[in-house]
Amino acid sequence: MDMTDKDKILIDDFFEGRNELADLFKQAAQQQIEDNGFTERVMQNLPEKTVTIHRLSCLWSLFCILVGAGLFFAFGGWQVLQGLFYGGLRMLLGWLEVFAITAPTTEININLWVVLLLLVFVLVFLPYQTYRKLSATL
Amino acid sequence: MAELNDIALVTQVAVFHNKSAFDQLVRKYQSPVRRFFLNQTLGDAQLSDDLAQETFIKAYLNITKFRGLSSFSTWLMRIAYNVFYDDVRSRKQTEDIDSLCVLRQFASSGDSNLKMDIYAALALLKPDERTCITLQLIDGYPIEQISKITGIPDNTVKSHLRRGKEKMTIYLKENGYDR
Repeated sequence: MDMTDKDKILIDDFFEGRNELADLFKQAAQQQIEDNGFTERVMQNLPEKTVTIHRLSCLWSLFCILVGAGLFFAFGGWQVLQGLFYGGLRMLLGWLEVFAITAPTTEININLWVVLLLLVFVLVFLPYQTYRKLSATL
Repeated sequence: MAELNDIALVTQVAVFHNKSAFDQLVRKYQSPVRRFFLNQTLGDAQLSDDLAQETFIKAYLNITKFRGLSSFSTWLMRIAYNVFYDDVRSRKQTEDIDSLCVLRQFASSGDSNLKMDIYAALALLKPDERTCITLQLIDGYPIEQISKITGIPDNTVKSHLRRGKEKMTIYLKENGYDR
């Protein structure tokens, strides 16, 4: 059934104008349904499945951590870590030594503004962003 | 701010399985969800509460699927819409939701004549038309939000609204409601 513009206006007027019908729709829109124990019934009927899965997932994580730790010590992971640490430390010391020897003869241009901007980024912007993300998720 | 609060509560439920956070969500949204079902079932309070409960349980089980692309209320109403249509489909084999037995139930419920006439007019509409009409006129959702909830394109929502209002106007005018 095609409708003319006049019909559309009449229908809109019928539903949105100031008549008994429009008032009833407005009342229905404002109606708040009392809880009357509904929430309790929903909470009592929530399945425990998710909790069981959560527990299983926790147990699985614990198992993986224990197996990982066992394998780490069984295959001498500690020695590997120590080696990496001391190797890194030696590299750093060597680099500092080279720097200390060559620094007096090397000309390095340090822009104070760049340093300042980097400091602002690290001390203000990063903590602010971290705080925002944490407060949004928790 | 309310939206941020919803997301914080959803995170509590999804990550820490915090039931008291879900309790707060149910308390906050029970009224619009139950009102939605009450309008779709033409005032059947018992059926509405059963469907609303099913909606919240589904929301709880699938809360990790909420990505925050739309507001939590829109996501919840989408679940409610799906729950209602699953129920309509399952009932079609035994009885039609639009049948007169539903209307007879409200005739004896002591509602005002106008309310009964509105339910009778809503009963004339197809389920999709009724959903669009009640979401707009009673729940106050704009067309694009109705489209998100129902998954029906904007233009189809508009034509459902137009056709629904037209049918209701004809029925209500025949029953003496005129300006």
